[in-house]
Amino acid sequence: MQSTSAGYYIAFGIASLLSVVWLGLWAIQLDRGLAVTNLADWGSAGGVTWGLYIGAFIWWVGIAHGGIILSAAVRLFGMKRYLPVARLAELLTIGALSMAGFYIVIHAGRPDRLVTSVVQAYPVTVHQSPLVWDVTVITMYMVMTLTYLGLTVRYDLARLRDDLPNILEPVYKAATIGYSEAEDEVIERIVWWLALGVIVMAPLLLHGGVIPWLFALLPSMPGWQGAIQGPQFLTIALTSAIAGVIILALTVRRAYDWYHILTDDVIRGLTLWLGLFSLLFLWLQLQQVITGVYAAPLDQRTLAAAKVTNPYYQFAIGVVLIALAYIFAQSVKPHIFSVRRSLAASVMVLAGTLTEKVLFVVEGLEYPTFSMYYNTPGHYFPSPVELASLAGTIGLCALFFLVILKVIPVIELHAIEELRGEGHAPVEGDD
Amino acid sequence: MSRDDDSCDHDSCGCGDNDNTADESFHPMGADHESEMREMLDETEYDTELGMDMAEDAMRLIQGEISEAEFHEKYNEAVVEEFEVDDRPTVEAFEEMQAKQEDDEHDGIFERLTGDESLVDQLSGIDTEMNQSRRDTMKKMGAGAAALGLGGVASAQSSSDPKDDGYGAEPVGDTADEGPQLGMVIDLNRCDGCLECVTGCIEENQTSTGANWMYVLTYEDEQSEQENFLVRPCQHCTNAPCEKVCPVRARHTRDKDGIVLTNYEVCIGCRYCQVACPYGVNYFQWGEPEVPREELMGSDVDYDHESLKEMDYEERNQLLTENNDHIHDERGQWNDSRPPQGVMGKCTYCPSRQDGHNGEEKVGTVACMDACDAAGMSAIHFGDVNDPESRPRQYLRQRAEQEFERDTELDNGEQWGETVTPWGKLSAFKLLEDLGTQPNVTYLGNEPGPEAEQIDGPVTYEQIGVEDNRKHHLDQFTFGAGDD
Repeated sequence: MQSTSAGYYIAFGIASLLSVVWLGLWAIQLDRGLAVTNLADWGSAGGVTWGLYIGAFIWWVGIAHGGIILSAAVRLFGMKRYLPVARLAELLTIGALSMAGFYIVIHAGRPDRLVTSVVQAYPVTVHQSPLVWDVTVITMYMVMTLTYLGLTVRYDLARLRDDLPNILEPVYKAATIGYSEAEDEVIERIVWWLALGVIVMAPLLLHGGVIPWLFALLPSMPGWQGAIQGPQFLTIALTSAIAGVIILALTVRRAYDWYHILTDDVIRGLTLWLGLFSLLFLWLQLQQVITGVYAAPLDQRTLAAAKVTNPYYQFAIGVVLIALAYIFAQSVKPHIFSVRRSLAASVMVLAGTLTEKVLFVVEGLEYPTFSMYYNTPGHYFPSPVELASLAGTIGLCALFFLVILKVIPVIELHAIEELRGEGHAPVEGDD
Repeated sequence: MSRDDDSCDHDSCGCGDNDNTADESFHPMGADHESEMREMLDETEYDTELGMDMAEDAMRLIQGEISEAEFHEKYNEAVVEEFEVDDRPTVEAFEEMQAKQEDDEHDGIFERLTGDESLVDQLSGIDTEMNQSRRDTMKKMGAGAAALGLGGVASAQSSSDPKDDGYGAEPVGDTADEGPQLGMVIDLNRCDGCLECVTGCIEENQTSTGANWMYVLTYEDEQSEQENFLVRPCQHCTNAPCEKVCPVRARHTRDKDGIVLTNYEVCIGCRYCQVACPYGVNYFQWGEPEVPREELMGSDVDYDHESLKEMDYEERNQLLTENNDHIHDERGQWNDSRPPQGVMGKCTYCPSRQDGHNGEEKVGTVACMDACDAAGMSAIHFGDVNDPESRPRQYLRQRAEQEFERDTELDNGEQWGETVTPWGKLSAFKLLEDLGTQPNVTYLGNEPGPEAEQIDGPVTYEQIGVEDNRKHHLDQFTFGAGDD
């Protein structure tokens, strides 16, 4: 942990560069307004008012929610095999959720008023605006995830203190304040209940609830309205999150030579899970397409026709199909499996879900029920600034990981202990 | 004016042996309804007794107790006296016709063609034998309904609650709601697509290029050959989806008159209102507004927003009126004219006009209506749709009566039934009403069908120098894709 390789500096440099370039572009956007994007008004004006920013917001928030669900499932169902990636998933949640929150700020026309306006109206709007519910659950999950992490990290920090950088001493002191070994059992139970809360609320409030309701509750946009959005969003969230965790695990494994902890077996298992959720994703897409093309109301039929003929949609479905084909093949013939292929499948799935999410937002607005306008459907392709925001947020998220890797152990001691089949052991797993 | 009772002495009238007692009404809807109708008639300039008698006999006509010709004959004199004209055929007219036909008896063309009784014989049979073929009954019902309808028109003119006149629901106004609700009646049949309302709105509100708060669509529809128009301001819905989803209550309905406004000082520019609105009436201020604030009406004094709100009502509105302000409403809230950068805008129904800041003569008017009136079209009628005496409601009644009269003249009555009411004669609709938004704009004319598509109008947006496709205009500001 305290020895830093050249690779680390290179990664840090690239991530910083992406972040800085993006922040510069964002400053231009703040100055000139959202006119620098390719967004416009829907209706007579021939554009879409929500685009890549909202699509990327859903994508990040999906990864975040999937991450915490994954981690909670590991704890709740005692899936000890995946314990080594549990904390990575939690950290992914924090990183991704921060990026999702950042996208809300990027998307708003008046980010300077976000706090004042939302707070003054909150007691009323929380009763009716899905957007306020959205902000509420995102905040709630940020708090839950941080609590979760804060509680579990105490055990590790207390034991690994000597191996941790001295410069951060005050941080560790604060994190482990009042720690005693007697609390371990209590903490474990609290975390179990927190995990239960996450699992129960995921379909109700998280990506299976409030986030899709932003869209599903609007009757005038046939691409959005409907009961399928909840399940659809949740599966996409889990698909993206597992793909994200695979990429993270492989990166960390390579960087720190942790082949004995994050074994091929763990990656193989995650790959299978990725296959399951990819299958669900494609299945729900099929449901939507089939109900749109066969004897559907006029507005839905127009949308479905536009969707299946859209090359970006075909790309999104295509890459997930290819990933799925690989996962199926390697489960039948194990010699087809390789970590590189799993990595490629994960990247493809993430690209596919991101494309689908942006398209979902854009096409929903391009094909409204009231579509007699000359300039409807409008045209939209993300502008350079919008595309740069993707690179920028990925850079920022990478930066977050690069920093956190140096601050806390990203693999739980429990996981190491589990692997060694022993109790509280001396520490070697974390270098 | 009164009418002698002896006009009721016709043999076949049957008035004598069918007298109504107080608790037994001739009207199928009961004595209460009858007295209500009587009251309504009392309020008109016409003879109440004549109306009631005619209505009663009209019911008997429908029952087949008297003939159409008898009915006409009976009231001929009184109707001429009251209305100075009665074009309805009387028994005399029938007899005349019959006599003429009898002269040419042997040439009876219908008889020869059909081998049946001649048409005239059938007609005269109505008089004499109460011959009830289905077709005849339909005719009588038509005439009867027409007579009843007279009461309907009268009641619509005078009743304070026209929804309850028993002659169908008036398609505008929500009398269940207390308080004013500003709205519009837009007569699409009067619209000629001149787009004056569009420019009128832009000039008044100084909106940026392509932000056409008032917008007119010329469209073609599979079902009709003719050129159709759809005038599309904000619908100022009672159940506004944009307001419901707003996370900061910037989009709100004003208590005073039910108009839906955006508080420009609170809006965070999330654009959820634009996403939720089914009509597409919202226009975001993507960049710096083209018209600076200093050039807006009433911006001579640079108010401090907070102090404006803190002033008492009288003081504030005096100040705003002195400045001919078109930026704030009476609450001192900045919600009129074009929005600032990063904030949502849409048709406002000109709140500063409604609050008297632009002079008393502009209260109850909006810029688009003024422009439409000035162009001689008068298709837009703005006002309190809950007030029966407001311009939109009066216009609606006037149109209902016109349509009704025209139909009564043209129609042979075959299709008539219970649904024949002045309101029923109006082709009125509200846009996407089944979405439950409760829009406050009522349209007269053709409702666009599901396949309706906008086409170039008789006057194009290009011709009036207004950008139609705002995206084209906005594209030049896209960073990295223009002259940056």
